[in-house]
Amino acid sequence: MELDELKAIWAKHDERLERTAQVNGEMLARWGVRNSLKSLRVLFGSVLFEAAADLVAIVLIGSFAADHYRNAELLAPAVILGAYAIAIFAAMVGQAVALAAIHYDEPILAIQIRLQRLRERRIRTTLGILLFAPLVWLPFTIVAMQGIFGVNVAEADPVWLVANFLFGVAVIPVGVYAARRFGPRLKASSAMRAVADEIAGRSLAVALEDLAAIGRFAGES
Amino acid sequence: MKGDEAQHAFVTLLERHRGILHKIASAYAREAAGREDLRQEIVLQLWRSFPRFDARSKFSTWMYRVALNVAISYARRRRGEGRIELAAPAAIETVPGVTAPPADDRLDAVLAFVNRLDELNRALMLLYLDDYPHAEIATILGISPSNVATKIARIKERLRRDIAAQPPSQ
Repeated sequence: MELDELKAIWAKHDERLERTAQVNGEMLARWGVRNSLKSLRVLFGSVLFEAAADLVAIVLIGSFAADHYRNAELLAPAVILGAYAIAIFAAMVGQAVALAAIHYDEPILAIQIRLQRLRERRIRTTLGILLFAPLVWLPFTIVAMQGIFGVNVAEADPVWLVANFLFGVAVIPVGVYAARRFGPRLKASSAMRAVADEIAGRSLAVALEDLAAIGRFAGES
Repeated sequence: MKGDEAQHAFVTLLERHRGILHKIASAYAREAAGREDLRQEIVLQLWRSFPRFDARSKFSTWMYRVALNVAISYARRRRGEGRIELAAPAAIETVPGVTAPPADDRLDAVLAFVNRLDELNRALMLLYLDDYPHAEIATILGISPSNVATKIARIKERLRRDIAAQPPSQ
């Protein structure tokens, strides 16, 4: 079989589609646009909700910092936690803006390269958020306990505070090891497996390989 | 164009070129549910990009570009989730009241061959099979026409090798 022969078979495929897809066309007119608009609203709705929730957290932390600006042992954890929340918010907004600027009607290679770079950026950001999370555990506990219950955990035994911080530090390599060792076995939950793949660096490796493959495709001649 | 008018124009054009939607969905997604998801995503992006469509250019070329971009991203995402899309059979959904066409082994072989290509070469092959000239394929993909010619020659060579490797039919 030669490629020209494939073309003839493909043309028959076209005719078959034309015959069998007529009702699908009507269905498309009735459902397609409406459903698509609905899913677009859901997508923007979830992004807006996440951004709003993060903004609320930033405002609450800011308010906490203002209330305790004279108390360094409460102000310092609030500043660390606030910086973490602002970094997450900025990354989220940056990605949403970059994604909104991508128009799928541009040449395929250019769009695929931009999408892959965005994917790489998203994975690195998620990795940063996940790896820094155990380090902000202690500032979070101090701020939350003071803010909600009025209990100043920062006045606790310094040994307890250091132990808590070291526990957070130790969670990072243990988490990376667990993600590498057990991630591929997480077949029941695709969301859990995705998180494990990101922590283990597998998602980043795949994204970089995909980007390299696009580069090879563009470069060959 | 006003909202309803734009939607009517969009649906009319989509209806006229729905074959592209089905062909791309069957080339990039194996299961019926996956094809449905992909079609929805393509329609969504087509509608989102529709205000940028220049009516002086060909809708089919524009549609191919958007649909292939969505399909390639979809296939990569599925691969990233560990869901490998294998070679599709002659994927045509039957709809109530429409008789399914008889199976065609040769068409299945073509689809299987197309599906064995990576996502970008698959896009190139779909355009080639739809008789797009090299220059237009180059514009849609964003590579040079000589690069298109080289890749088509390589795909031809691969097709010959694939056929040579297959056992002779009884």
